[in-house]
Amino acid sequence: MADFIQLCVNGLALGSVYALAAIGFVIVYAATGVVNFAAGQFVMLGTFAGVGMITQGALPLGLGYGAALAAMALFGVLFFVLVYLPLRKSPVVTIIIGTVAIGIVMQNAVLLSFGSWPFRLPSPLDGIMLQIGGAMITAHAVMVVAVTALLIGLIWLLFYRTALGIGMRAVAQDVEAARLMGLPVNRLLALSWVLAAMLAGIAGLLLGPMWFADVNMGDPIALKAFAATIIGGFGSLPGAIAGGLFVGLAELLGASYVSSAYKDLIAFGAMILFLLVRPQGVFGERIQDRG
Amino acid sequence: MRVRDSLLAAVAILAAGGLLSLGLADYSLRLLNLSVISAVAVIGFNVAFGLAGLISLGHAAFVGMGAYTLAILTTKLGWSPWLAAPVGVAVTTLFAALIGYPLLRLRGHYLALATLGLNVSFTIVTANWIALTNGTNGISGVPPFAVAGLAIDDERRFLWLGLVALAVVAAAAVALQRSRHGRAMMAVRDDETAARMSGIDVTRTKVAALCLSAAAAGLAGVLFATHVRFVAPEDFNYAHSIVYLAMLIVGGEGTVVGAVIGAALLTFLPEWLRGLGDAYLAFFGLMMLVILIFLPTGLIGLVRMAARLRFRRGAVATPRGAP
Repeated sequence: MADFIQLCVNGLALGSVYALAAIGFVIVYAATGVVNFAAGQFVMLGTFAGVGMITQGALPLGLGYGAALAAMALFGVLFFVLVYLPLRKSPVVTIIIGTVAIGIVMQNAVLLSFGSWPFRLPSPLDGIMLQIGGAMITAHAVMVVAVTALLIGLIWLLFYRTALGIGMRAVAQDVEAARLMGLPVNRLLALSWVLAAMLAGIAGLLLGPMWFADVNMGDPIALKAFAATIIGGFGSLPGAIAGGLFVGLAELLGASYVSSAYKDLIAFGAMILFLLVRPQGVFGERIQDRG
Repeated sequence: MRVRDSLLAAVAILAAGGLLSLGLADYSLRLLNLSVISAVAVIGFNVAFGLAGLISLGHAAFVGMGAYTLAILTTKLGWSPWLAAPVGVAVTTLFAALIGYPLLRLRGHYLALATLGLNVSFTIVTANWIALTNGTNGISGVPPFAVAGLAIDDERRFLWLGLVALAVVAAAAVALQRSRHGRAMMAVRDDETAARMSGIDVTRTKVAALCLSAAAAGLAGVLFATHVRFVAPEDFNYAHSIVYLAMLIVGGEGTVVGAVIGAALLTFLPEWLRGLGDAYLAFFGLMMLVILIFLPTGLIGLVRMAARLRFRRGAVATPRGAP
């Protein structure tokens, strides 16, 4: 029982990170129609922004987090200008390949600047353990779940209670109509990329202390975030959250109770099954036939 | 016309490869062989992606299926490679047909993600089904092909085998592209509804494109296994699917020549740019991005553009210079 609780909490923590990555992916997809195959590398970049500021730059944690997230926001703007704008009018296929290409560039640019040796990213709660129902749980895992829950609340407030967020949803629904209503469409589109980059950055900062910071961490995260998005429902925020938690739990529980070798097959098997039987996922994509 | 173009493609490949084989050192020959194998796979990929517009990120799994089938049949059951090769191609094609019917209802990024998931699952299974595949250790000791008692086990001999296979596949691909079936695939790519309205069976056309694409991939896998004489899960992971895609994009999608050029270029490029060291992959990604943005028709498009410019300049110059 203690093992089970421990696995569940760790699974939820890992799932929260996947959910954050998936939410960033979904926000960009909903707003711009771009399927961002570099989403995993965004998270990797977030971890390494943390490594650069905190492990190497020796900034105090709070300041380091702020600087890393500012760097990620800047990266979102750069991505909007250098990748999204030139490819905006291209067919879906070209955009998919373009984001794959930029993912390769990101991964190898980080490899060149940080080397292939893995880094350790500290957590503000390093070394603190909690005892819940006989299970020993790292305080960091609990913090990951709490921070994710808080962020989800903030995102909901942004999208449903502020003029800015409502404007972003309007652009996501119909760019032309939004332009006619006088909304600053380009600025709102850029903001979606910034938001996605910052969420990925937070996911990366939270993941860093759980795994090692390694330049190859992006691909596995991207694959899990994709699986989460498909299972939850493409383009749906609640779907991204539910899918992320499912994939995280399936990974850890599957590794202990089914088979550690085939643990990843559970998530991908579920993803392929959903694609075949219910491509709209649990929560479904509202806008049909997009992409 | 169709037959002439097919023959022309085949003869051009044999002649170019044959000429290259005279002047190249052993290591370059090895790279040439690898690019021939990749070209077979990329021509196949072009049928699915370039003609029928199916965005697959799992082509390497098909190559792996052919390679593993041959490796298992020859090393575990002692079959001759000549017997195992057609079985390898057949198994791969059958697998494509089985997954094609349910999978090809998906479009765009859904299909891309499903095929990506498929490729990852293939790698997980080959890495862990140890009884059959030896896991991550891979299967070594795959026997080479032999013709009249002569083993095709060095680079120069293998090149001719590879060139013949590539010539056959290229000729078949050119013939397909010029045929009713090839045009049906392009119609499905350009507008599915319009294609269906004009009486094309869309599902069957897509599945046929995937099967032909997988058959060529299976052949590439068979060639790979007997060339390297060793197969391991890492040789067929999704990064290789992305490389096949990049080869086609760089060469020029939708064309057989583009597939061959792209395969050769991206096989030799890491050698030529060895000076870049670790920066090669970053350069590779940037190059892909630049080609996508500025040269969406690939190198073939560049050649065509240059040819058109020269033609126009010639057309203007003739009347002026004529007596």
